[in-house]
Amino acid sequence: MTPKKIIIDTDPGIDDAMAIFLALRSPEVEVIGLTTIYGNVYTTLATMNALHLLEVAGRTDIPVAEGSHVTITKGTKLRIADFVHGSDGLGNQNFPPPSGKAIKQSAAEFLVEQASLHPGEVTVVALGPLTNLALAIELDPAFAKNVGQIVLLGGAFCVNGNVNPASEANVFGDPEAADIVFTSGADVVAVGINVTHQVVLTDADREKLANSNGKFAQYLCKIMGIYYSYHHDAYSTRGVYLHDPTTVLAAVNPSLMTYTEGVVRVQTVGITRGLTILYNKQKRFEEVTEWSDKPTVKVAVTVDAPAAVKLIMDRLMES
Amino acid sequence: MAKVNGVVANGVFASAKPEKLIIDTDPGIDDSMAILMAFQTPEVEILGLTTVFGNVSTEDATRNALLLCELAGRPDIPVAEGSPEPLKGGKPRVADFVHGSDGLGNTYFSPPNAEKSVKGAAEFLVDKVSEFPGEVSVLALGPLTNVALAIKRDSSFASKVKKIVVLGGAFFALGNVNPAAEANIYGDPEAADVVFTSGADIVVVGINITTQVKLTDADLTELRQSKGKYAELICNMCKFYRDWHVKSDGVHGIFLHDPVSFVAVVRPDLFTYRKGVVRVETQGICVGHTLMDQGLKRWNTSNPWTGYSPVAVAWTVNVEGILAYIKKQLTKP
Repeated sequence: MTPKKIIIDTDPGIDDAMAIFLALRSPEVEVIGLTTIYGNVYTTLATMNALHLLEVAGRTDIPVAEGSHVTITKGTKLRIADFVHGSDGLGNQNFPPPSGKAIKQSAAEFLVEQASLHPGEVTVVALGPLTNLALAIELDPAFAKNVGQIVLLGGAFCVNGNVNPASEANVFGDPEAADIVFTSGADVVAVGINVTHQVVLTDADREKLANSNGKFAQYLCKIMGIYYSYHHDAYSTRGVYLHDPTTVLAAVNPSLMTYTEGVVRVQTVGITRGLTILYNKQKRFEEVTEWSDKPTVKVAVTVDAPAAVKLIMDRLMES
Repeated sequence: MAKVNGVVANGVFASAKPEKLIIDTDPGIDDSMAILMAFQTPEVEILGLTTVFGNVSTEDATRNALLLCELAGRPDIPVAEGSPEPLKGGKPRVADFVHGSDGLGNTYFSPPNAEKSVKGAAEFLVDKVSEFPGEVSVLALGPLTNVALAIKRDSSFASKVKKIVVLGGAFFALGNVNPAAEANIYGDPEAADVVFTSGADIVVVGINITTQVKLTDADLTELRQSKGKYAELICNMCKFYRDWHVKSDGVHGIFLHDPVSFVAVVRPDLFTYRKGVVRVETQGICVGHTLMDQGLKRWNTSNPWTGYSPVAVAWTVNVEGILAYIKKQLTKP
């Protein structure tokens, strides 16, 4: 079977680093590019980190296209989660700057080009705010149809958010863009924190990674300290959530999750800005609603968490 | 044995003193069931009914409340008319497609003889709560306009009211007006946010709880054949309501939203609760959405939920226990 072409849209980010390495170690997928976005860090630093991670992996053949520095509504007041990932996004390790450079194309242009070069074949795995994807949709009306699938980490379905009680960080980062992507008609699979919070890398798992000979495992253990202390403080958990790696698994091995299908809309104003509401059509409403007549997406509802953690660890330790 | 508000866990009242209760209501078929149940419950003393728009207009709610008091042989119960519109003004949404154009399943009773109270609902609420501080509970079965107006009218209302049991919201579940919002909260989101953040002792029963408790077609038939004092009346009203449930939810029967909320007043032991701050969205496509901070995470910055008193959100329900209680009350001769 030929591997699935994937582009990872990313804001590295500690769990982004893990997700990128996991994808590079997964024979089911072929990473044909990285596009960058703000979120865990600003976009400029996301690009530097993406280049750095590819150099660590010895995969400088993979192009990196820099994404938007502002939200889809040109917002510049971005929420950057440096308190989760460190000021450099990679656990404050002061890595030397990468020698490679991003390609000339913007992230949106690269996404549009690759989707039209390989119609129906490119899966975009979106790990940050959805600005680049919304820009691609605006840039090319055929993008939503040309892209094979968009697998995104975003939303909190029927649970509290992680930025505030209403909202998950990636959707909160650009709610307008998220609403565009969810209602674009593309084949979208949303993996929310209701699912990723079930996939926990425990302190013991981290020990196991550290004691392995895996190159990626070793690297990740070095940068994960701050991510662990954040989780201990914020959630009182003895482990960290594997948001981004779990989302990559939804592209690599979709059978690890179950899904429901429905219309997802994003609240863009008010105290619940960034709230994701899924309507799975179980109930009929008397009146036309903002969810009526919109395209549906798939939303992950369950995950085989032990199998997911094992697969992620095995691949990182084999490296 | 756990003691909750004078009730012991097996449901027998330890104290002989009945619970003073004001029902704020928009009758409404399931409101009528809850009110008639309350009249059949010696453990509560109904101080009055206050009326609000929702299932019907406020004017019709007042007429129906007066009618229900008469049908129950209690024309002495004061009925105080509430606000005809939500806090922000404008014509309210009325769910006549659920409850019929008369609000009572198109049963078209002749008008009541009794008159409504000279006091408005908010004034009535404030007066009764000040007269018996710490003793009066409010069961709010419609949009929360009157309760919010009482809170605004008297800054000590929230601390003097014993408890406010609210039927409203959809917690981590689909709404019933649209995917984001439940009808009572949607009816006046600003008022609901005022009430939830008022600091009063509040219990919220959302449709995530009430839609678990159904009377099936078989239950309704059984009720009709019972010797229940109001069984026939209720069953006649329920026809219209039941047919809407089939169409809307594929349910052959009816949800017991308001009766379940009444049970939360007299048998709080039939539910479990979680405490958290609840806020209501007042803008955008999710207007009317109730969002509770479950307190599972320590937030690193303040947010719109920060600094408010938590309320008790009904989390699980003893479905069999509640159904048995409701059936017992409704089949009482």
